[in-house]
Amino acid sequence: MNRASISAEDKITTSQAAVIIINYTLGSGVLTLPRTTVEAAQTPDVWLSIIISGIIVTAAGLIVVLLCRRFQGKTLFQFVPEITGKWLAWILSFTVITVFLVISAVQIRVMAEVTGFYLLDGTPVWAIVMSFMWIGLYLTLGGINCMARIYELILPITLIFFLISFLLSTKIFNIDYLRPVLGSGIMPVLRGIKPALFPFTGYEIMLIATAYMKMPKKAVKAVLAGTTVPLFIYLVTIIMVIGGLSIYGVQTRTWPSLDLLRSFEMEGLIFERFESLLLVIWIMQIFSTFTVTHYAASLGWSQLFNKSLKPFLFAMLPVIFLIAMVPKNVLEVFKLGDIVGNISIFLFGGVPLLLLLISMVRKKGGNPN
Amino acid sequence: MSRHVRRVLLAAASLLLLISTGCWSANEIEDVTVSIGLGLDTAKESAFEKEINEQGAHYPKENVITATIQIIPPINAKKGGQGGGGGGGGGGSSPSSEKAYLNEQLTGDSVIQIFRQFSLRRDRPIIGHHLKVIVVARELAQKYSLEQIFDFILRDNEIRPSCLVVVSHRSALEALSSEEPGEIPALYLLGVVNNRYRSNKILPPVSLIKLDSAMQSGASFLLQNVVTAKDEHKFSGAAIIKGDTKRWIGELTQYDIEGLSWIKGDVVGGALKTYASRGSYTIAYEPETSKASIIPEVSGDDISFHIKIKTEGSLIEDWSFPEVPSSPQYIHELEGQFEEEIKKQIRQVLHKMQKVYHVDVGGFGEQLKFKYPKRWRKLKERWEDIFSHVPITYDVNVTIKDVASSTD
Repeated sequence: MNRASISAEDKITTSQAAVIIINYTLGSGVLTLPRTTVEAAQTPDVWLSIIISGIIVTAAGLIVVLLCRRFQGKTLFQFVPEITGKWLAWILSFTVITVFLVISAVQIRVMAEVTGFYLLDGTPVWAIVMSFMWIGLYLTLGGINCMARIYELILPITLIFFLISFLLSTKIFNIDYLRPVLGSGIMPVLRGIKPALFPFTGYEIMLIATAYMKMPKKAVKAVLAGTTVPLFIYLVTIIMVIGGLSIYGVQTRTWPSLDLLRSFEMEGLIFERFESLLLVIWIMQIFSTFTVTHYAASLGWSQLFNKSLKPFLFAMLPVIFLIAMVPKNVLEVFKLGDIVGNISIFLFGGVPLLLLLISMVRKKGGNPN
Repeated sequence: MSRHVRRVLLAAASLLLLISTGCWSANEIEDVTVSIGLGLDTAKESAFEKEINEQGAHYPKENVITATIQIIPPINAKKGGQGGGGGGGGGGSSPSSEKAYLNEQLTGDSVIQIFRQFSLRRDRPIIGHHLKVIVVARELAQKYSLEQIFDFILRDNEIRPSCLVVVSHRSALEALSSEEPGEIPALYLLGVVNNRYRSNKILPPVSLIKLDSAMQSGASFLLQNVVTAKDEHKFSGAAIIKGDTKRWIGELTQYDIEGLSWIKGDVVGGALKTYASRGSYTIAYEPETSKASIIPEVSGDDISFHIKIKTEGSLIEDWSFPEVPSSPQYIHELEGQFEEEIKKQIRQVLHKMQKVYHVDVGGFGEQLKFKYPKRWRKLKERWEDIFSHVPITYDVNVTIKDVASSTD
């Protein structure tokens, strides 16, 4: 009867849930993170901002999990009406879906911009984007289990290549660029927190993924793993990029993380230049972020209308494409990313807490224990 | 889906495979010209340009900059007809005329326009992915800010930020020329930089990205200087780029660079020569390690610096005749003389920095920033003025660990 309900076999394990969070979190953010944070903070201490952001995000993720565990087997779109009533739930779900769609579109567009600039100079954007999206559609049609499996394959490959190429930049690393620690006090560090939060968006997938977990009780573990891995990756990124380019150099580069890899050559290794290698590999991460959000948005529609998921997966594809093509240039893409980042902080940081409190007061949902 | 629809889709998908194989925007390596070095000079039109201008081949521009692009391999297919396939084999027979590179020059007032202008002259377009060295002529860096000169180069997506930047004392074209058969000057310059473990007269390499960071930071900095004579090159000294104007304001000599390398504590090789006091014969010391710490001291409004330098190495040359045996006292005496020599080098470079050019290229401001960040924020605008009057003391400690393979 209920066509949008979750089938028994399409379940994911705890580690798969963690991998989904990690792969969603890691995306195009890592390419610009050093610039956005340093621009806001103007000190080399932004690695502290990253750590603080990581802690904030973990807390937000735990709230999400606590909320979801009150409504076992139900996704956000299904349990919100129980808490807030139908109309508010519609508005909220609609906003969540829109944010997912925009995140998806921004990822696609950033991928297109950066590959167009560094890898496929001359290939039209639509050609890059469409092949990317169609493969994504093929994956999402397989359901969350399929996606989780492919992410499990993607994750180790991307992480290994990422770490290798970034650690090779020790060749141009200069510890003095990271000094003095807290030279201008704690205030700039706090200013760096907001841009540092943007690339951490990813835990919100638990609003949906918890429902698919075989053991929802272990969702806390998944969130902890899902935020620590990106935190570690971002710390490596920020320290190596600032140590290589200095805070002055970082601010003028559009893609500082790639420019770090462009700033050295290794002679005698199989590869001399690492930016293309990393970019090719990292596209897989962007791909996973795109597919997760695409799936989440489509699932949202399907559960709102209580219809089967497939047509929505197809229908969302052109929508994402159109949103991705709205920004006229890369600066507008960054602006769109900032806007959606700002919204998502409130939407996924604040609203779940509110929902949790309301559901506790109104005694909605089961007790998790 | 019916079987029929499925078949149609399958056929469509297979068709897609046919058209989407291969690379969309591929550029075959045979169809492009690889630029490996770039020289930037003040405008000086070549004879070729003058002649074509007379024929009306002119476009609206001012003559500001002359760019020399070094390309490999030279395109001489027109001359050598017999070597059909393999071009590499036949080169040995006439070494005098065979150069392994080609320099092309064009003049204009926009670097990108000059680059694109080359495509009017070459059937194979020039690509910048493999640019290794950029040479800026002193004269140009004196006239224009490096920020202006390098703007396009730093924006471009072909030229890698790992590209090395050096300054030439004379024209950049000369620095990119060589009479040596088979030698590619751009790669030669790149190679010399790697000799730092042999000489502390070479600056740490400054790549484009380091140049960008240095320019953005607003501090003065140094670039490796290349002197040329009769198409031969030598790394000698450094060009000083002033932090606020980003222009060339002067040069440090090799001797100054040695002093600076002691202050920075990054000596990893080289030779320190002086004359023994007892017979004024040559003695030389080869440093193996060196450590330096610049210690800023602030008391009230007064700022001062103390530099502590420690180095270990070996006695590598001793012209004493008759030979003085290497007794501990003698070694100790020599250590003292080497210390004096290092101090002399430091004194000279500090004088240049503080009194002649008023620039801080020794990292003094940085150390102040690390230790007294609040004070630094107040001073940083006027730092180089203040630095010119700051007292700097130093002590040097040379330890001769061994006497190489000869004991007397």
